Parts: sequence; C-alpha cells; structure tokens
Amino acid sequence: MAERPLGQRSDMELGATLRGLAPAIAWPMGGGAGGPDLATAVRGRVESMPVPGRDRWAGLRPTRWSGSIGRPARRALVLALVALLAVAAIAGAVGLGLPGLRLILGEAPSTPPPTLAPATEAPGSPGPGPLGRALRLGETVDPSDPERLDGRAGFHVSLPSDPDLGPPDAAWIDDLKGGQVTLLWATRDGLPATSERAVGMLLGQFRGTVDSGFFNKIIGGETVVEPVRVAGDQGYWLSGDPHIFFWEGADGFVDDPRRWVGDVLLWSDGSITYRLETSLGRDEAIRIAESMR
Amino acid sequence: MRRYQDVALRTAYLVAPEADAADAVQDAFVKAYAALSRFRDGAPVLPWLLRIVANEGRNRRRSANRRAGLAERASIAEPRDALATSPEAEVLAAETRRTLLAALGRLRDEDREVIGARFLLDLSEAETADTLGLRPGTVKSRTSRALGRLRGVLAELEAGPSDG
Repeated sequence: MAERPLGQRSDMELGATLRGLAPAIAWPMGGGAGGPDLATAVRGRVESMPVPGRDRWAGLRPTRWSGSIGRPARRALVLALVALLAVAAIAGAVGLGLPGLRLILGEAPSTPPPTLAPATEAPGSPGPGPLGRALRLGETVDPSDPERLDGRAGFHVSLPSDPDLGPPDAAWIDDLKGGQVTLLWATRDGLPATSERAVGMLLGQFRGTVDSGFFNKIIGGETVVEPVRVAGDQGYWLSGDPHIFFWEGADGFVDDPRRWVGDVLLWSDGSITYRLETSLGRDEAIRIAESMR
Repeated sequence: MRRYQDVALRTAYLVAPEADAADAVQDAFVKAYAALSRFRDGAPVLPWLLRIVANEGRNRRRSANRRAGLAERASIAEPRDALATSPEAEVLAAETRRTLLAALGRLRDEDREVIGARFLLDLSEAETADTLGLRPGTVKSRTSRALGRLRGVLAELEAGPSDG
C-alpha cells in the first residue's frame, strides 16, 4: 500500500497517510521545550491591564458577564479560561482565598440535575424523618449533642448563638464529602422558607485545603458575587441564580447532587469554611454568622 | 494540560499558518470572555474553545491578506512528535511528506481546515464540526470532497515536476 501513488489512494488510505504527516509538521509549541508558556503569557497580559479601584473583586458585582463587565471580572474570566486548558474536564477555576473553595465560571444548569433527590417532602411540612433528608446530606446525627457532633466531625462545629434562632433541628455529616457537617433549621416565623420549603436555614461547615480546591462551584450568568467581611474574615455573598457545588474526590471531580437552597454566605475562619444558605438577606446572614461560637 | 494547549495552538496554526499561533491563541482567550455566556454547562469544552481559536485564526488570515501554504513553514525533518502519532498512522518517507505538504498548501482554506482537523489534529467528526462551525452531518461529505481534491493535486504533483 505504501508504494501506491498518493494520488491513487482511497480516502481511508489517504487518511492514514495524513495522520502520519502530523508528527513531521513544525507545530508551534505551547510551553516547555523552549516554546512560550501560553498560560503564563495570557496571565501576564491580563494582569498588566489597569485595575480600576482598589477592590479586587468589585468587578464581580455586576449581575451579568456582559460587555459592561468590570476589568477585574474580565481578568478572572480570562484566567479561568486559561485554567480551563489545564483542567479541561471542568470549566475553569478562580481561587477566592477561602480554604478549599474555588469558583467555577460557567453556566449553571437551568433545571435541577437528574441526580437531585426527589422532592419527597411535602411543601411546608417536614414529613417523616429528620429535616433535610431529601437533600442527601449524609448520615443524620443528634443535633442536640454538640460534643458528640464535634467528635464525629473531627473539628469544632460552630453554632449561632442568636437566641431567636435556637439550636438546629437536624444535623448531618457526610463522610463522602470530607466529613462535611450540615445543620438545618426548620421554616418558621422569622425564618422564611428557602427553595426547600421545609428548610428555613442551612449551615454547612467543612475543612478545606487551599491546595486541593476541595469544593468548587459553578456560577451562572445571573449570579452576583459580592465580597463581604464576616467578623474580620474574608467572605462572599452569592445571590441570584442557583448554583452547583463540585467537590474533588480521590477519583476526580464529582458533583454534589444538591442545588443550593438559597442565597449563600461563604466565609472562612482560616481552617474551616462555612456556607450559610438562607432567604433572610445578606446583612442578616452576616449577623447570624458573626454570632457563631 | 499540555495536550489542550497544543491542540489550541495547532488549530490556530492550521487555520492561519502565516500568523503567529501563540498570539492568535492569546487573543482568542482574551476575547473568549464575551463568548462565555454562550457556553452551556455540560457542553464539550474543548471544541467550544477551539472554535474561538479557529475564528481568531480566520480573522488573522483575512487581515494578513496573503496566504502561505502549510508547507512554507512546515518542517520535513524526521518526525519528532509522539503526541500526534496514532496507531493507524503511516511512517512516511521524507519525499512523501514533502509531496503531501505541498499538496495541502495548494488546497483551498476550507479543504485544508477540514482535512487538518480530522487527520492532523485527529479530532472526531463532532469535534471538527464544532471547531470549524460546520453542521455535524456535513463533516463526512466535506472531508470526502476535500480528500478528493487533495488526491487530484497529489496526482498532478506525482505526474510531473512541481511548479512551486
């Protein structure tokens, strides 16, 4: 076959011949081996752009990734696109400086993913079993025994000290998600329903490491990310579109089969990262967060 | 990581061999933010990105106002790239490589793109469709027609001395 003139070869033969040509082409190099490091080049170019204002994250405030988007957000997007090349299985990541948490830039699904648990709880009714059982939060534990909760989690599980809030109505620990603890409060007066009508507030706590990017999150075009301070610590208030969590397991990235139930306050005290989901609004969420002991 | 960088660079190079592929890819990324709203969760990431790169390459091809064949900047040195070697690829003699590169350089841009995407970048038909902005059902027929025209050019080259 190799002796047959090129002009007489079949499509299949010519295809194989062309595949043999690829290694001989002087392709441009993308990095290493004397070539330019593309990611570094793009990063340097983007970072050389002037940044208006001092708040690095101010540009994340607009509600849409649109033409009027701020330069920092544009930068974040481009950096995310560079990261996209590195981790092509996910949409790209931007570190927020919270242990174990990275933002994933991309479109959130418009409908709940099929892995979501069926809504077995009747609206407004806790139904049988512990609150939040349809959310697949792991194994239920006794919410009224803080010492046992700490022992089971392996770290001190903080609780809001606000007397109006009281103790949680349910607690869960998910060993498959690094021992993530989730506390839930039922809907009642002063604690309006989240998208899960029986759930008035959800407080997640997990240990994260900066290096691993333990939890990731997809934000959609209508998600607002606002930097805030929580008792002096860096935090972010995420509102608007629903979001999807990703976490990194031993076998790679898998999705947390749970849509967040409300707007989210994310913050960290340095070793533990917290996520508080509520319909109460940003300021009230921060007040509750700052009451945690 | 390198694999995806290389595919992006090769796509830019394939579409506009006369332009600087690294610059094209850089510009494509800087421009890609505008297209992010059109990226749908769950969609394949790589073809989406390659399409932006390919469009950027086409813009450069038009602005460069000249057309250089792949062969002009292609090496005919011994194969050095294990990345693109697939099991069904032939080990080609230097003369065969030279003839193929010359023939590719004579093809229309559209033919060179689809042949390059399918056989030099080893993209699937679906990936080729996404990258080049073609309807999925047309890749096979376009590839076949492009191969037919390539075959014609190859026959001419093999029949007599190249006129360059």
